[in-house]
Amino acid sequence: MIRIDNLHVRYGTFVAVNGLTLEIRRGELFGLLGPNGAGKSTTIRVLIGQRLPTVGTVTVAGFDVVRQWAQIKPCFGYVPDRENHFEEFTGRRNLEFFGQLYGVPKLRVAEVLKLVELDEAADLPVRGYSLGMRKKLLLARALLHEPPILYLDEPTANLDIHSAEVVHRILRERVKFGATIILTTHDMDEVEKICDRVGIMCRGKLIALDSPLALRQQHTERKVDVICTNGDRLVFDLDDDRSRRELAALVTAGAAASLRTREFDFHATFLKLTGLAFD
Amino acid sequence: MRWYILKALLIKEWQRHLANRGGIALAILLVAAAALLSVFAPTEVAAGTGFVGGVHHCFIEFDQQTPLIQHLQANTPAELGGQIVFRRLGEGEKLDGLLVYQPGTGAIQIRQILAHKSPTGRDTISVYVWHPDGDPLALAPYEAWLWREIRRALSDQARHSGVQLPADPDFDTQNHWILEEAHKRFQDQLALARKSSPGDPPSVPDLQVNRKGLGGKVLDFRAAVATGLVVFSLYFACVYLLPTLNCEERERGVLLAQALSPASPSEILVAKFLFYPTLGIGLATTLAAIYKTAVLSSLFFWLALMAVGAGFLGIGMTLAALARTQRAAFLGGMCYLLSVSMVLLICSTNNIPYLSNLAVEYHGPRILHAALSGDVHTRHWGHLFGAVVLGIAWLGGAAWLFRRRGWQ
Repeated sequence: MIRIDNLHVRYGTFVAVNGLTLEIRRGELFGLLGPNGAGKSTTIRVLIGQRLPTVGTVTVAGFDVVRQWAQIKPCFGYVPDRENHFEEFTGRRNLEFFGQLYGVPKLRVAEVLKLVELDEAADLPVRGYSLGMRKKLLLARALLHEPPILYLDEPTANLDIHSAEVVHRILRERVKFGATIILTTHDMDEVEKICDRVGIMCRGKLIALDSPLALRQQHTERKVDVICTNGDRLVFDLDDDRSRRELAALVTAGAAASLRTREFDFHATFLKLTGLAFD
Repeated sequence: MRWYILKALLIKEWQRHLANRGGIALAILLVAAAALLSVFAPTEVAAGTGFVGGVHHCFIEFDQQTPLIQHLQANTPAELGGQIVFRRLGEGEKLDGLLVYQPGTGAIQIRQILAHKSPTGRDTISVYVWHPDGDPLALAPYEAWLWREIRRALSDQARHSGVQLPADPDFDTQNHWILEEAHKRFQDQLALARKSSPGDPPSVPDLQVNRKGLGGKVLDFRAAVATGLVVFSLYFACVYLLPTLNCEERERGVLLAQALSPASPSEILVAKFLFYPTLGIGLATTLAAIYKTAVLSSLFFWLALMAVGAGFLGIGMTLAALARTQRAAFLGGMCYLLSVSMVLLICSTNNIPYLSNLAVEYHGPRILHAALSGDVHTRHWGHLFGAVVLGIAWLGGAAWLFRRRGWQ
């Protein structure tokens, strides 16, 4: 559905994206992770036709984003990281305006308002909306024309737990009906929970690409943290025979006051992969 | 171009203005100003107003209702009929016993002493001219009429009593007849003196006075104010509203949202550049029609409006392309206005040629004023041509700039 081939994007001398090659399949919910300045937003900007690739090609649904942007435009919905509504209009009027541009009936506006649970606040001016409501209105706008592709830049930022759950449910439903979704986020739990595949970018390069499950298997540490009765803190590697025997001896001797096995920590894995973890 | 998209974009622009109301309020204020201009100065000829000097009413105050006063009352000229008011001395508004004349008014007091009460044994007419402070010529049109009619009244009285008088002089509006009569009297006195004197004093040559106007005319203040309103409405819509609201949408990211919709960049731009000039021209036409409805049937008016509108649209588009934020667009508009005003002022006060011709603001007010005052001359067609050329140049430049810098 989306094919990125050897994408390079430069802002002057700064290389924002450095040789990104990626293919995202139809019906996939793809999470793009990375620290600030990793190149996620630039990649999204190229995908929505707002930034020309310096080198490389990007095709969406078979169309080239540079040469065939007009054909691509109706195919995607976009939720930017910064909300961009007509503040003086009501939520409903905002959607009606974009609905008119997309040629969708007014009934659809009511549907999406209900879908994102904004139907009760639909007739209030957007300037009175909270950050979370604005974010949900962005999602409603992106869903208006039921696009086969969705680009979401931190869709659940500023949302409460319930609203984030609603967004997750909507996204999974869209995927179930064949939509392809790329979302960028900093929320590791969210990635683990809803994404089919995850790409981690750092300094413009893709440094990890796999499903959350595979990442878990690759990066789960089989270690045990022990606090001894004398106050010492020790770490035992369960993959090492000697270390395993030492741990057993410690426990048998009753010298272990507390024992904890390490779980998979997406956050720590992310920091480790991006080289941002503290030693 | 897809009409349903254009329609949605145009309706959106209109609804944004309805929701914000600032622009609507200013438009209503302009219309109210035009209506007031029309209501409170309904006649076409007005000598002046309290704001700009001049006299719009002259009181002729007299102490006795004599045949002279009756003659004056019977011979009030049509062009000053609405502005000359006769009243007895002391009938006016008083403050602490003193007569008070409101700004924009003046008075000519006529006091007469009849022969039987006069120490000279002849009737005496004392004329007091009360003109606005610092403007001694403000009553000139009224004085010209007064001196002429006093002369005619006294001649008629003499003829009625059987005195043979030479024909009246040719009364002219410049009061040359007074000068010529005084000179003639001096010639007669000198001729009489030559007869009785032993020497041969020189004769006095005949005097001929010729005064040529420089082609200027009194400014029609109402037309000038109406022109100002019309120009401002075009400027407001195209050079202020268009760039500021365009940049506001760009700054908020709403322009991006529209760009990502099926609306093409050209449709978004066309909608904007249709809406604002239409708004400006609509408002300008309303203001002009309130001032003078007949102007709507003038081809020159419409051409002038289109030319100035195109020029201002080009300027507004250029600002919209250059400025990235709403504040920058607003300041850009202000800076442009001040710069052009300064350049035009410097050019006019220092007689710098040609440079002014490069400003739409130089040609625009001239052609619109000519259209509104119904006084279109050949030179105004030249100004119209200049405005059209500048309008095309600005639009072309703005389009090039938009393509170069990116429309959003």
